[in-house]
Amino acid sequence: MKKSLSLLLIPGLFLAACGGNGGSEGAGGSEAEDTSVIGPDSEEATELTFWTFNEQHIGVYEPAVKRWNEENPDRQIQLTAEVFPIDQMNNNLRLALQSGEGAPDIADIEVSHFGSFLEGDVQFESMNDQVEPVLEDMVEGRLDLYSKDDNYYGLPYHVGATVMYYNEEIMDEAGVDIDSIETWDDYVEAGKQVTENTDSMMTTVETTDQFTFWPLIAQQGSDYFNEDGEVILDNETNVESLQFMNDMVHEHEIAEIAPGGDHHEEQYYGYMNDGGAASLMMPMWYMGRFIDYMEDLEGKIQIRPLPRWEEDGNRTSGMGGTGTVVTNQTEKPELAKEFLAEAKLTEEGNIDLWTELGFDPPMYSVWDSEEMGESNKYYEYFHDDIFDMLLELNDEVEGLNITPETSDVTNEINTNVLNSAVRQQSSTPQEALEQAAESVRSGMSE
Amino acid sequence: MEPSTSTSVNKVKTKQSSKLSRFLTSRKAAPYVFVTPFIVSFLLLFLYPMIQAVIMSFQQVLPGQVEFIGLRNYERLLNPEFYRALLNTSIYVVFTVLILVALPVILAVFLNSKLLKFRNFFRASLFVPALTSVIVAGVIFRMMFGESETAVINEIIGFFGISPVEWRYGSVSGMFLMVMLAAWRWIGVNILYFLAGLQNVSEELYEAADIDGANAFQKFFSVTLPSLKPVIIFVSTITIINGFRMFEESFVFWQNNSPGNIGLTVVGYIYQEGISQNDMGFGAAIGVVLMIIIFIVSIIQLKFVGAFKED
Amino acid sequence: MTTKKKKWISIAVTFIFAVITLTALFPIISLVVASLRPASGLMREGLSLLFDPAELTFSNYLSIFSESGQQYWRWYLNSLLISGMLIVLSLFFSSMVGYALAMYQFKGRNVLFVLVLFILMIPFEILMLPLYQLMIDLNLINSYFAVMLPLIVAPIAVFFFRQYCLGLPKELMESARIDGCTEYGIFFRIMAPLMGPSFAAMAILQGLTSWNNFLWPLLVLRSSDMFTLPIGLSTLMTPYGNNYELLFSGSVLTIIPIIILFLFFQKFFISGLTVGGVKG
Repeated sequence: MKKSLSLLLIPGLFLAACGGNGGSEGAGGSEAEDTSVIGPDSEEATELTFWTFNEQHIGVYEPAVKRWNEENPDRQIQLTAEVFPIDQMNNNLRLALQSGEGAPDIADIEVSHFGSFLEGDVQFESMNDQVEPVLEDMVEGRLDLYSKDDNYYGLPYHVGATVMYYNEEIMDEAGVDIDSIETWDDYVEAGKQVTENTDSMMTTVETTDQFTFWPLIAQQGSDYFNEDGEVILDNETNVESLQFMNDMVHEHEIAEIAPGGDHHEEQYYGYMNDGGAASLMMPMWYMGRFIDYMEDLEGKIQIRPLPRWEEDGNRTSGMGGTGTVVTNQTEKPELAKEFLAEAKLTEEGNIDLWTELGFDPPMYSVWDSEEMGESNKYYEYFHDDIFDMLLELNDEVEGLNITPETSDVTNEINTNVLNSAVRQQSSTPQEALEQAAESVRSGMSE
Repeated sequence: MEPSTSTSVNKVKTKQSSKLSRFLTSRKAAPYVFVTPFIVSFLLLFLYPMIQAVIMSFQQVLPGQVEFIGLRNYERLLNPEFYRALLNTSIYVVFTVLILVALPVILAVFLNSKLLKFRNFFRASLFVPALTSVIVAGVIFRMMFGESETAVINEIIGFFGISPVEWRYGSVSGMFLMVMLAAWRWIGVNILYFLAGLQNVSEELYEAADIDGANAFQKFFSVTLPSLKPVIIFVSTITIINGFRMFEESFVFWQNNSPGNIGLTVVGYIYQEGISQNDMGFGAAIGVVLMIIIFIVSIIQLKFVGAFKED
Repeated sequence: MTTKKKKWISIAVTFIFAVITLTALFPIISLVVASLRPASGLMREGLSLLFDPAELTFSNYLSIFSESGQQYWRWYLNSLLISGMLIVLSLFFSSMVGYALAMYQFKGRNVLFVLVLFILMIPFEILMLPLYQLMIDLNLINSYFAVMLPLIVAPIAVFFFRQYCLGLPKELMESARIDGCTEYGIFFRIMAPLMGPSFAAMAILQGLTSWNNFLWPLLVLRSSDMFTLPIGLSTLMTPYGNNYELLFSGSVLTIIPIIILFLFFQKFFISGLTVGGVKG
């Protein structure tokens, strides 16, 4: 088992194009790069198709298929996973759902697009009968992201707790003790010390993606929408947070705009790897990026909760994510749902989410289990106190309000708001947010 | 081959079928037979989906819930983002037409002239960029126009003492990238059109001009350009239409979101709203408006150059 | 003009063209160089002119010929088959239509020509959803035919053939009729050979359009063993696990055989020009 696993997973984590190596036959008899077939190639096995935009995600289904087929020898399945670039996957899925034909059995949908997939008659199977029995072991806010009218449609991969990754080497050189950073004020002060005493910046901010802005406002209990789905993008907290981003870059000069625009660019990986910045705020799932792309930082990175805004404020926020759904075009809804639950709603599945993918699993009852403590490459790269810290933060993860217009807001933020308020400084944070909010509202008032 | 012989030989055939075949081979029917593939493809692959799309532009289209909402999609078009898309697209059209008509004409004239050595080599080489897909071209351009000091173009301008440019973030440099990419890829194709056109320019006209003592420039303007007119009409029409339909040249640099919408084009807006944001009715409305704009511009352009006249 | 002066002008023109050509080829050369360098470093630092030649390596190419590159060759085959079939079909149909529009006076001719222009103007994106639904109804999803169908009667080719035919001598048709040729015989035996250069040009153009087609195949092709090259290559650059080794070397190999094909074709093209060019 171990060998076949590593065959599938290691290339899967490092190279998008080699995911098929561990699978059996791809369609057409050739070894497919973006198709992985998991499970027995026997006639009894029911074939389920799975679409994803992240090759890495397949890693959690490999052991799940194996477990399922062992436990249900009379209902064997074979999972065909296809990987598409995210925009293309969304388009294909949308067209397929719209036209009533061509959709897979199971699909991954990224959180900011999820709301728009729930418009109209929902084209997914409700997962309530699978979710309800384990609901109290789960971080509920993560399931709520993918729900509508009391129905849970998508199952999460992770909590996405946002943390601060500190490069200890640089912090030491600057003479800052990272555990002394309690508040964002402390953080700014530390930043000034870093820029004074070293060649590095304190941190970077994103202007073409939202993982600097969104965590900052979510940490303070704010969001793009309120619980009733109304736009609150331009509220005071958000304006102040955007001002804070701007100040870090232009007034305190402790931060710079991420090379390449966001934290998922090759240029950025190179920059961080060379010690460009002393710290970085990103969710837990970003660990994999360090391991894959910043090999020189091994052992130098410490993970800590975010600085607080006020004395008993939250020290994290749940960010990003992907909901896995069963579409209503599947011929075997029960089988697909039960299998998906096996992969995502069991203790084994959640442990795999950590050991295989390096995600902070949404079932928090496993966080202190023995298996989670076993050494793996994540502990080796970072340090082994990650889950002690996460357990502490458990009730500080606020839920987000996802609506059909979330992707509109995301679009506004990534395209206009951050560019004009932080990069170009052509408008003030207030103006930029008001304009964006107005644009989203006008699209909604129909 | 000859209809009279073939019908007379096949006397066995019924009178009717010979009538039919005579009709089909008649001079009257032949053009209709020739254009049948076009009519079929027009009805099936254009008219039908077009009507569907126009209907959709008056609807809110959601899975399982399609309702007519009147002109609301069209009302929503009155927003700054759409204006921006229109503006970007128009600027792009103007620049690509200027560059992609003027430059290829001049280059083609030289490529056709005996003054130039290694003509075949140059013809082939200038066509090579057209062989790259826009995806591949985008990969190359993004590497060359990277914002770091060590990216080729910044190194080159650095040599002249200009500081590095963040190519993909400014509205002027962003437009420059898109126009450059299009010009680079299409110049070879347009040269090809003009070269083909130049083969039909009569030698006698040049000889006559020589006798009149015209110099090279005069010959170019009085003989070459007028003779190339049909090709110029063709190339400029295609370039205008392709300009309005532009999407991929922007997509390869920024995907869906360009900073400050510097790369937003009308078709990009259709893609963004209609597909990415799942608002197909609105997307269809943008498409209908774009169609009307292109139609008007092209008719004006064709009228202006007199393409409907008999040549 | 003296011969000496002419010679100097010739050298100057040739030199200017050498510079222009070098500029045009520079991105391609860059890509080739890039494909010989470690891929991720390239994305990090941008493509620099100043690099250490000792860094050059063929390892990117080895990965294409290794097992993980197998799929790449499948994409290659798909692209070749689709483009080849499409060139034949679209030249056949489009030339007929363009010829008829140029050479015959018949009712509806102008309407049809306007329709050709009209199709040319419709942004494909707005037809995408209805067309996609049509492909499902016709049960063509994930087939070569679905990719080709919208391009078979290409308005751009019809337009070009029409423009080209306008320059052909109509007297030839008359004399052929007197000789007893059918209308179809006139087209296939007499006029089509005169259209040689336009066939060569359109073959190249339609081949290219198909070879580089992106958005539509992306929608109708479902399984990766049906993908064409642009789609396959684009799957190599998702932000979730880049595979630049294959991307760069794969891109180079995408272009090179087409260049060879083009050089080969260009001879036909030029000889076609000289044959078709003797008329006034």
